[in-house]
Amino acid sequence: MSRPAPLGSGTAARLWHVVRAWPALQQVAFSGMVAYRAEMVIWVLSATLPLVMLALWSAAAADAPIGGWDQLGFTRYFAVNLIVRQLTGAWVVWELNWQIRQGELSPRLLRPMHPLVFNLAETLAALPFRALVLFPLVGVLAVWRPEALFLPSPSVGAAFLLSVAMAFFAAWSVQAAFGMLAFWFEQSMGFWSAWFAVWALCAGYFVPLDLFPAGWVQLVRALPFYSTLGAPIDILLGRVAIGPTLAVQAFWVVALGAGLGLMWRAGVRRYGAVGA
Amino acid sequence: MIEVRGLTKTYRVPVRPPGLGGALRSLWSREHREVHAVADLSFTIRPGERVGFLGPTGAGKTTTLKMLSGLLYPSSGEVSVLGHVPQAREPAFLQQITLVMGQKQQLLWDLPAAESFELNRALYGVERAEFRRTLDELVAMLHAEPLLEKPVRNLSLGERMKCELIASLVHRPQVLFLDEPTIGLDVEMQVQVRQFVAELNRQTGATVLLTSHYMQDIAALTPRLLIIDQGRLRYDGSLDDLTRRVAPERRVVVQAVVPELEALGLVAHEGRMVATVPAAEANALLQRVLAVAPLVELGVEVPPLDEVIGRVFREGRA
Repeated sequence: MSRPAPLGSGTAARLWHVVRAWPALQQVAFSGMVAYRAEMVIWVLSATLPLVMLALWSAAAADAPIGGWDQLGFTRYFAVNLIVRQLTGAWVVWELNWQIRQGELSPRLLRPMHPLVFNLAETLAALPFRALVLFPLVGVLAVWRPEALFLPSPSVGAAFLLSVAMAFFAAWSVQAAFGMLAFWFEQSMGFWSAWFAVWALCAGYFVPLDLFPAGWVQLVRALPFYSTLGAPIDILLGRVAIGPTLAVQAFWVVALGAGLGLMWRAGVRRYGAVGA
Repeated sequence: MIEVRGLTKTYRVPVRPPGLGGALRSLWSREHREVHAVADLSFTIRPGERVGFLGPTGAGKTTTLKMLSGLLYPSSGEVSVLGHVPQAREPAFLQQITLVMGQKQQLLWDLPAAESFELNRALYGVERAEFRRTLDELVAMLHAEPLLEKPVRNLSLGERMKCELIASLVHRPQVLFLDEPTIGLDVEMQVQVRQFVAELNRQTGATVLLTSHYMQDIAALTPRLLIIDQGRLRYDGSLDDLTRRVAPERRVVVQAVVPELEALGLVAHEGRMVATVPAAEANALLQRVLAVAPLVELGVEVPPLDEVIGRVFREGRA
């Protein structure tokens, strides 16, 4: 009878442990998604607001372009918006909030891997479901407005994928940070609702940021909201310079990741393991 | 192995008078009070020991277990478990311990328990072959084979606890913190869990620190007791010593009602006759009973453990 080889405490050892465990984490997380398949589809459908916005802005631009945006422009913008929103969607804010308030974080804290790693695996395990809902929607859009289809150059496509990956980590970190507020506040989800309202406007979820007053556009693009959604959309549509946009995103990924680490350390010290 | 010195945990909890007035006042002036959940606790547990951790509700048992396992940061004092500071939660430490909480579960609710075991295998870095061997052993010991492929939500409380124990042990921990592992289970399942823990301790030499409200758990499993009350250690020693110190009397019980025995001080109760005497006098009384009624069935009983512990809490004796 032997015990497992001791796990190291250094960053490299921890990362290697995550790499080795990742296939199993993904498999179990995916099983969880399958168990919740009906709820998953409803969740995914709840993030299809870009289609509503597309209908609204298309109607508004029926007679004449708005701020340089015609119906075709809006169709492309909100179609890509829908895709990016689905690829960067998560619900870690609700998961963490619940786990902290109910003491369900306790068993996770006792395992020799950071609890957020499994949260991350669960988020990524949902991607196939998101794609399942996304493909038919994009298909319908393609039939409705075939002229909106376009093929980006390989370099723009690669920049788009990189930008989506960074948007995912930025958005996920923000959600996790708001979830962690439950370490300090009993009703922390109110903060998330307030953030979402500002985010929807400043990330480009409701409206392309180009339509903001000229002086505001540069400022809003420098804020973290834009890096979680608007940046990859604008990169794919060729509306921004790729290098600086990716650089701003990279800054926010690092800053939000560092902030998340600090919050976690402080929050866990406060954690009362209530009810556990 | 486990060293605890001056361990203290103080919570700052908000207090609010009831009613609308209290609710309004709390809007601008929140009052707090300090709760000393654990106060200056010190003890040592050697490798392989089985120790019962007893105390009334709110005594600080669970808080202590949470600090020993690294879930809670102590307010002051020092803790060392297997040479590690628990709250640092180093992977090498977490890999060697487990905390089983009877009222909280780690199993994934909507998935078969086997998925939770696989998840823990990966999280604890257990090789597949070793995992298979360990799992087979644990499943056999707990007779849990039929449970593995059922969604956890469809298991009974007792079945869930069996799976909870398996999930907590797939990494072969050296230290088991068991917090009320038999709570809510039926008598048969309690016995199975007790036998399992005892067998596991025998086979693996794992150290066991157990809290339970069921005195049968303590009597069957833990030769050594730590009794805690209001966060302070009240007793550290064997169950036998405690009984001798706290309840030095014995009950002489006759399994019949014989009126002549009333003269010897025995009292009829529910078809039996009972006399409580100092332990040193029990044998003499037995002789006198046999002289009066030679054919009766009789015996000497130690006061039940519940009663002994109850006296410690009520009278502060230990």
